[in-house]
Amino acid sequence: MTRHLTRRDTLAGLAALTALGLAGLRPAAAQTVDEIKKRGVLNIGLLVDFPPFGITNLQGQPDGFDADIAKDLAKDLGVRANLVAVTGPNRIPYLLTGQVDMLVASLAITAERAKQVAFSVPYAGIRIVVYGKTSAVVKEPEDLKKYTVGVARTSTQDVSLSAIAPAGTNIRRFDDDASAVQALLSGQVDIIGAATPVVGEIEKIAPKGAFDTKLTLREQVHGIALRPGQDDLLKAVNAFVEKQKASGALNATFRKWLNTDLPELKTPALGG
Amino acid sequence: MSIQLRFGPVLDAWRELAAGIWLTLQLSAGAMVLGLLLAIGCAWLKLYGPRPARFAVNVYVEVVRNTPFLVQIFFIFFGLPAAGLRLSPDAAALLALVVNVGAYATEIIRAGIESVSHGQVEAGLALGLRRLQVFRLVVLKPALRAVYPALTSQFILLMLTSSVVSAISANDLTSVANNVQSRTFTSFEVYIVVTLIYLALSLAFSALFAAIDRRVFAYPVAR
Repeated sequence: MTRHLTRRDTLAGLAALTALGLAGLRPAAAQTVDEIKKRGVLNIGLLVDFPPFGITNLQGQPDGFDADIAKDLAKDLGVRANLVAVTGPNRIPYLLTGQVDMLVASLAITAERAKQVAFSVPYAGIRIVVYGKTSAVVKEPEDLKKYTVGVARTSTQDVSLSAIAPAGTNIRRFDDDASAVQALLSGQVDIIGAATPVVGEIEKIAPKGAFDTKLTLREQVHGIALRPGQDDLLKAVNAFVEKQKASGALNATFRKWLNTDLPELKTPALGG
Repeated sequence: MSIQLRFGPVLDAWRELAAGIWLTLQLSAGAMVLGLLLAIGCAWLKLYGPRPARFAVNVYVEVVRNTPFLVQIFFIFFGLPAAGLRLSPDAAALLALVVNVGAYATEIIRAGIESVSHGQVEAGLALGLRRLQVFRLVVLKPALRAVYPALTSQFILLMLTSSVVSAISANDLTSVANNVQSRTFTSFEVYIVVTLIYLALSLAFSALFAAIDRRVFAYPVAR
């Protein structure tokens, strides 16, 4: 059987070639902290279509959680931040071709991506959780049977929740997250499956203490991505993230945008 | 290029589909009967009731006929709990359908009642019947007969409208179809099957209505 070249392979190959060929030529492709400090600008790629992590604000500028982190990071290095809007599919090519020095682009740390880019320690994460009335007692998946559970049909929440819920659980599938949330707020369901950004939105409008998080169904952590070989820069980025974590600044920024505390950020094992 | 249709996963889900058909049938038939009773009551109030009742019926009919069904069902399912009335998805779906078809049928039946000639009413009164008896024994049947085609097509529409109840997680036929297609990625196949089922249900209801027409309304009238 012949293996067809996929678009992804082609892109990655092109990106690698371009990176090899142009790395020495492009002034934008700073490899070390010293180079960046000399230049005075840190080029950071981030998403603008992934609220609340990356958005475009009313002034048309990139904004959101990732933008705040990127600005703090540039300030930490004592340089100006140049925020470059990238998209989900083109963000890694942007990095590998030296268009940007690093990505603060909600890039989930996965083994496959770690083969192409160097990840910092996690600086953010989202979880798919079981969330519901404070009075509902859910300590393990078996407990779900006692309650009415709402999810958005076919969503990641639906898939992960259906996988662990015991047979006979009353799962109500709505057309979207908004309807599932509405069902929770109006008391039509006791519990929902939701991603943490949605939970943040609920806590903004729900009475204090009415709902809480029961279980974590699935989690992903985001890392700042650099090109392989930027070891010195990676060290500086990691130091920045650790410092922000220790001082509580990272959590404060996360709360500002997501209205909830940072989840536990464990660096995933990237075996294989 | 050809599309490969895989009906296997759809047929495997026949139990779910059958349960969906059953709920769709229950909701439709229930809403037809209850909606008809509601509409007859409202039509009577609208024509003969006291002023405040006529006003209330007018408000009901206009509000329901001028707002989308989806909004009505959201209001009943998500809104009523705030007023202390929490209905299950199935009960909320039935209530929403009854309220909806009741409003449309009210206008249809009012037209039917108005088509009954005044002479018949006067004949009834001359026989010593009271107003309500005249309505029940003399007016109602020819009135329904006059608008029967409009009424039944409204009921068929009601059955098709019931597909919206999946929005509040009631597991009707459409809801089951959505679940199956999201699980098996055979959306085209599922919707082909479900379309055929809806078509069959519509035809079955039409046949039922025709049979009722022959049994109940087959009497000669003077022209």
